[in-house]
Amino acid sequence: MRKVFKIYRPFTHAGVLIAAQYRANFFFFILGDILRCFINYFLWHAVFTSGGEKTFAGFSETDMVVYIFISFLTSVIAYSDGSYAVGEEIRDGNIAMRMIKPIRFDLAFLFQELGERLITVTLIFAPMMLGVEIYKFVVTGVIGFNIVNFILYLFSLILAYLITFYFNVCYGYSAFILKNLWGANFLKDCIVGFLSGGVIPLAFLPPVVAVTLNLLPFASQTYIPVMMYVGMFDVPTIIYSFALQIFWLIFFIILQQIIWNACVKRMSVQGG
Amino acid sequence: MIYVENLKKEFKKTIKDPGLKGSIKSFFKPQNEIITAVKDISFHVPKGEILGFIGPNGAGKSTVIKMLTGILTPTSGRCEINGKIPYKNRKNYVKEIGVVFGQRTQLWWDLALRETYTVLKEIYEVDDESFKTRMAFLNEVLELEDFITNPVRTLSLGQRMRADIAASLLHSPKVLFLDEPTIGLDVVVKDNIRKAIKAINAEKNTTVILTTHDLKDVENLCDRIVMIDKGSKVFDGDISDLKSRFGESRELNFVPENIDIIKTLDYKNEFKLSDDDFELSDNGVEVNVRFNSNKVSVEKMLNYTLSKTHVKDINVTDADIEEIIKGIYRSEVNLDA
Repeated sequence: MRKVFKIYRPFTHAGVLIAAQYRANFFFFILGDILRCFINYFLWHAVFTSGGEKTFAGFSETDMVVYIFISFLTSVIAYSDGSYAVGEEIRDGNIAMRMIKPIRFDLAFLFQELGERLITVTLIFAPMMLGVEIYKFVVTGVIGFNIVNFILYLFSLILAYLITFYFNVCYGYSAFILKNLWGANFLKDCIVGFLSGGVIPLAFLPPVVAVTLNLLPFASQTYIPVMMYVGMFDVPTIIYSFALQIFWLIFFIILQQIIWNACVKRMSVQGG
Repeated sequence: MIYVENLKKEFKKTIKDPGLKGSIKSFFKPQNEIITAVKDISFHVPKGEILGFIGPNGAGKSTVIKMLTGILTPTSGRCEINGKIPYKNRKNYVKEIGVVFGQRTQLWWDLALRETYTVLKEIYEVDDESFKTRMAFLNEVLELEDFITNPVRTLSLGQRMRADIAASLLHSPKVLFLDEPTIGLDVVVKDNIRKAIKAINAEKNTTVILTTHDLKDVENLCDRIVMIDKGSKVFDGDISDLKSRFGESRELNFVPENIDIIKTLDYKNEFKLSDDDFELSDNGVEVNVRFNSNKVSVEKMLNYTLSKTHVKDINVTDADIEEIIKGIYRSEVNLDA
């Protein structure tokens, strides 16, 4: 384990340096995301004001606002470029340059991405958390911060990121067959965004649909960590949710290994 | 050191209709066509040799290199390098080899060159002491000092190639694969790179396999050459062998004032040349004569040509690599005999 860390740490370092090269790019991205977040906020504000009801499927307006911002934060942190990065390397044939190195393809990508996103996460995490807690305090008048929920959230968030990463890597490998992933990626992001509860809480959906979606890996990517933070899960649900997340993580790690082995055997490197 | 036996690679090429619809259709119901890139190649390279691997575009050179470096899995046949089979246990195998693809870079596009080397040091688990001496040596032969702090994306092609070669040698590999290391470089840089390759080969008796289109690379560097065409081996031997057999071929090109005059030119009977030693073709304007300068001197050819015709333009050139390959390909039967 320590050896793995020693070998792949330079990828993280390289990732940080690469991210630092494209600072402006990063700020525009975050700015766009935050704008979308506020649009969501005003939309739900309008829904709650005009509806006249205090709660909606167990969510008060305060809960909803917290949900919006925390799910936004979660999807920013548990976001992975994996499918773009893997797909692009396959498309232009540069994957060959990785194969001539004594490294594992997935780990190299993972550690490099961790580095690339380190700055993003550090810059966005604390202010967002603080903002949400201050909002809760202003509206309700009590300090609602719950350290247990927060720690559960952190664990769940890390699992969510790893699931997202390996899911995306699996998806990226389809470039071996499709050759170019741009369109397919766009479609995937939209579908995953909805199914993971990133757009609306899954609890808002009809029970049958909600239960089904809960089982799918997408819920593990955003919905489960957010619900941990909001504190809407009872103890059995928490244990069950963690088990589900771990199951999906192992599932995708094994799946990407299988796909990778199959692809390498029948691979043709594009371009020279 | 390197054993290659009956190596063969077939690609399945998917015939795809255009558009997303076509992609999905071919995803579920692929229509394939089998292309044989490498047919049946065998050769053996002893330790410390510099082997030139040559052939025209699309001959299958890169495919062979990719199989030898563990990127591609052969359809059939086997190759063994340092007692290891490349495509099995790739991670373990690639620790002992260095690879440079002239058309790609293994350097980090956005990082300073120095950073890339630090990353590679960790990947290959090179200790500090060896890293230092290694960098000093590479610095000396490849002159990296001038641009080692620059980001890789700002390097010129020549600098990048030198940097890439250094990157492939950091861990003192036993075998170095160079796929067109002099592609697109000017004469001076080419010369420097050749010197560096020689120095590297001499230093640790590193086996080098290189592919190239530049006959000068072959002449300057290679102890031996393997030539392939259309996926098959057509020549295997040393340079002097190749030269005595095919290097004497010359090409005489001229533009006569009246193209019909070529009917009156009878080189064959004049100099008593056989079909192997002589070939004449024209494109309606220019006449191209390929001849063996061992059998008939350039002077005689020119004198004879100029005495028979009035020419607008005339020149004599060495046969280029493609020409030699063509020559070998034509006389394939003789080689086998």
